[in-house]
Amino acid sequence: MKDKKEKIKEEIKKLVIARLKVMSSNRKISIGSSGEFSKEELIQHVEREDEVGRKITEVQMEFLKSLKEGIFYEQDTFGYETKI
Amino acid sequence: MNKILLVTRPKYDDTTYYLFHWTKKVIKLADKKGIQILDLKEKRANRKEFESIMLKKQPLLIFLNGHGNVDRVTGQNGEILIKTNDNEVLLKSKIVYALSCKSGKELGHKSIEKGAVAYIGYDDDFIFYFEDNKVSKPLDDKTAKLFIEPSNYVIESLLKGHSVGVSCQRSRQLYKKNIQKLLSIDSSSELIPFLIWDMKHQVCLGDKEGALSKNK
Repeated sequence: MKDKKEKIKEEIKKLVIARLKVMSSNRKISIGSSGEFSKEELIQHVEREDEVGRKITEVQMEFLKSLKEGIFYEQDTFGYETKI
Repeated sequence: MNKILLVTRPKYDDTTYYLFHWTKKVIKLADKKGIQILDLKEKRANRKEFESIMLKKQPLLIFLNGHGNVDRVTGQNGEILIKTNDNEVLLKSKIVYALSCKSGKELGHKSIEKGAVAYIGYDDDFIFYFEDNKVSKPLDDKTAKLFIEPSNYVIESLLKGHSVGVSCQRSRQLYKKNIQKLLSIDSSSELIPFLIWDMKHQVCLGDKEGALSKNK
């Protein structure tokens, strides 16, 4: 079971890095108080699995989840939601 | 409560530099609408001045720009301006928009408990892309614009007299518009996941009917 989890984790990491590799080299990303990062720096953070790397992975996974939920096709997903 | 907009806009790193400059458009709009502006910029974005001006002028609209965390929003050089279980009572009877990371998760809720009309913010990191060669001219950065413009639209809409609920809704609609624009050009755009992230993590707490126009 542990091996399977590790394998999935590695697959996710590879996927996130593959997505980051297509990022334009002229761009940087601001992640709040964590700072500003270039493509190469982001890839290093994901490889190290540190806080910034985990955040990038979370964003990418949430995006893929949104795709699965049909975010681009279902009006409701974009609908107005409030949290109290 | 006075029809006054208080803006805090520190400037000490790339992120705050961008937010600082993009806030100019909001200030211009407030000026056009005849709304008094209290601009705590750079060094003036410190706790002492913030607390003093909040008590003295009682502004209705508060626009906080700067780094933050679940329990705080900061000013120049990361100095805490407002913090949970400390001075969030200052936000009582105010409509707050915090362009800051994570404060919608805890500070926003605590502010509502302490009597704030509404608190709009982000319950996780606010993330944006920018062009490395545009850092000296952030307002010309079309990539950053995709992120900051929908976000700042919350406060612009409030200045136009719309309610808190409508302002949040319109901000999200602008995010959606930008996502759809990118999708039509390149569906694999690296920007899309981060725009969706910001849109999904924007929170709108408190009275959705609250508005500037309700106050005289």
